[in-house]
Amino acid sequence: MKANIVSQSTAISHGGRKIKLKRTALGAAVGLVLLALGFPVVAAVAKKDEAPPVPKMRKNDLTPLADVLKPVSAHSPYQDGDCSLCHQNKDRENPGPILKQINAICLDCHDDFAKVMARKSSHVPAKVNCVSCHNPHNSKQPKLLVEESEALCLSCHTAISNLVSNAKVKHDALTSGAKCVNCHNPHAANVEHLLTRLPYDLCVGCHGKDGVTDHDGKALTNIKKLLADYPHQHGPVQDKDCSACHTPHGGDNFRLLTKEYPAQFYSPYDPKLYALCFDCHEESMVKDPKTTTLTKFRNGDQNLHYVHVNKDERGRTCRACHEVHASQQIHQIRDAVPYGHTGYMLKINFTQTATGGSCAKTCHVTRSYTNSIAPLVLPVKTDAEPPKAP
Amino acid sequence: MRRLAILAAGVGLWALSALAFANVPIGAVVENVSLPAFAGGEQNFLSDTNVSVFIFFKPGQEHSNQAMAQITLLEKELADKPVHWCAIVSDRVPPAEVAAAIQTTGLTMPVVIDAGDALYGKLGVILHPVIGITDEHRRLVAYQPFAKVNYVAFIRAQIRHALKEITDEELAAVLQPTAAVLGGETSVAHRYFRLAEKQFQSTNYDQALANIQKSLEKNPTAEAHALRGRILAGQGNRAEAVAAFDAALKLDPQNPAPLAGLKAAKETAK
Repeated sequence: MKANIVSQSTAISHGGRKIKLKRTALGAAVGLVLLALGFPVVAAVAKKDEAPPVPKMRKNDLTPLADVLKPVSAHSPYQDGDCSLCHQNKDRENPGPILKQINAICLDCHDDFAKVMARKSSHVPAKVNCVSCHNPHNSKQPKLLVEESEALCLSCHTAISNLVSNAKVKHDALTSGAKCVNCHNPHAANVEHLLTRLPYDLCVGCHGKDGVTDHDGKALTNIKKLLADYPHQHGPVQDKDCSACHTPHGGDNFRLLTKEYPAQFYSPYDPKLYALCFDCHEESMVKDPKTTTLTKFRNGDQNLHYVHVNKDERGRTCRACHEVHASQQIHQIRDAVPYGHTGYMLKINFTQTATGGSCAKTCHVTRSYTNSIAPLVLPVKTDAEPPKAP
Repeated sequence: MRRLAILAAGVGLWALSALAFANVPIGAVVENVSLPAFAGGEQNFLSDTNVSVFIFFKPGQEHSNQAMAQITLLEKELADKPVHWCAIVSDRVPPAEVAAAIQTTGLTMPVVIDAGDALYGKLGVILHPVIGITDEHRRLVAYQPFAKVNYVAFIRAQIRHALKEITDEELAAVLQPTAAVLGGETSVAHRYFRLAEKQFQSTNYDQALANIQKSLEKNPTAEAHALRGRILAGQGNRAEAVAAFDAALKLDPQNPAPLAGLKAAKETAK
């Protein structure tokens, strides 16, 4: 994120005093924090020429809770009345300025965070200003958070907030358990987007159990069990990249799919329906009647993907023949397809051969295909030494 | 599985990965071919002597655009490495679209034209964008489709592994990063330890003792026992201080802190 350095004069009321200060974005954040802590003079730590490029920080009221309010969490030094660990004075009524820059003080005791913050992906507010999210005295929230955790995250991450609010399909992970922190580490992580693990490893935390339902109460597959039983897995599944097809914060397509995917077995061919698949797979695979390069599912040069899918009326959609996560057969080919309205499953009886395969006694009579036409001749470079054997 | 295959390849155990080019498994030698370059002339898509990174992309496709922009930055980052880069585009894409994609993504590596998708079919590509990495012997050492998360990190690590700059273990650490879970009892114990240490330094012994006790309840380390011993000694409670130093030495007999504490306690007793 780029610097949002704004120079402006701001009058801040603190303890009945009006203080005017010049600030940058960082200066604003740190300055306000320090002012809230009671030390206007220390705002000078954020001189304009020292300010690192940081996004706009939250401005929080960091004063301790009034005595009548019972805190949910309290910082041990504050609780112990040991103000001088962070401030100039030990006197609670007159603590004076803080001793150093805010994060330097925090890391004095929380020194294990130096290692945490060295991870590949780090949260800028955590890096530069712990008090963006935490009140160093006490709080009505756990972990000294200045606000309820989800509201706190979404107060800055407004695009996600809008997505969550407007999504037709909701993901309960955002509103249950630790909410955002179910998947993200708000300080730093080894995976991008502050994810605590790779997407698959995160998702199976919930979707690797029986009895999990979607937002509307519909039972969801135990993916861990499915993958244990079905060895041929879709590329993104093997790559642990559930987010290749699913949008975890909510969306408009069923099953939180990132784009459209045909819900029906039959559909007139319309590329828009296959937007999800064509995000990675080559559209011409179902557009070209003849090919010797785009797919192995061909009989000679007759493109059998085209034959099955590209029809004006009863085109077979991807789901007609392929599983999306994993299958017993190669290419995620289904074992059986739903036939009629009674729930009867008709076997595909696919057999792979060295040069093609066959589907037997299924939607059609047994049909075989072979893709072993003469190999293409490419202009081979001849002036190189042949590679050495491994 | 793909990652296992890469690791297996790295140690010479050629494993057939389910996730690789359909016609070229990990470990197989990839035939080099010369293709027409978009900028004119001819260009080999692989190097015969260096590590090669080749990318099949499709102009206008969202993932391809994202991938090419990111890979271009990676290419710049690794500009001093002996790596041959090449982007491959189908001849079914109009030249104007290829030019627009090059401009939009800032692509700087050579782009070659795959006439009739011949190379695409020969390797069995099936996806866009997809990256192959070959070593100096043109053996396929990595296959990487687009990923929404850690994409560049994966590719960077695979290139560096092919260049023998990182070990199998270092590659594995990138491909399967360790979990970054929050907090934990050890972490909380450490904070109580640090607080107690500071309170001890400011001779606030009562609170220091209370906090080191909290630390010990969560994670009884030799250091924490030793600090408790020092606090107790500070309070003049020699007998309990000696017991605390003994507890520390039980956990770590060579730890200098309780050894020094014991020595000091004995000298005080003289």
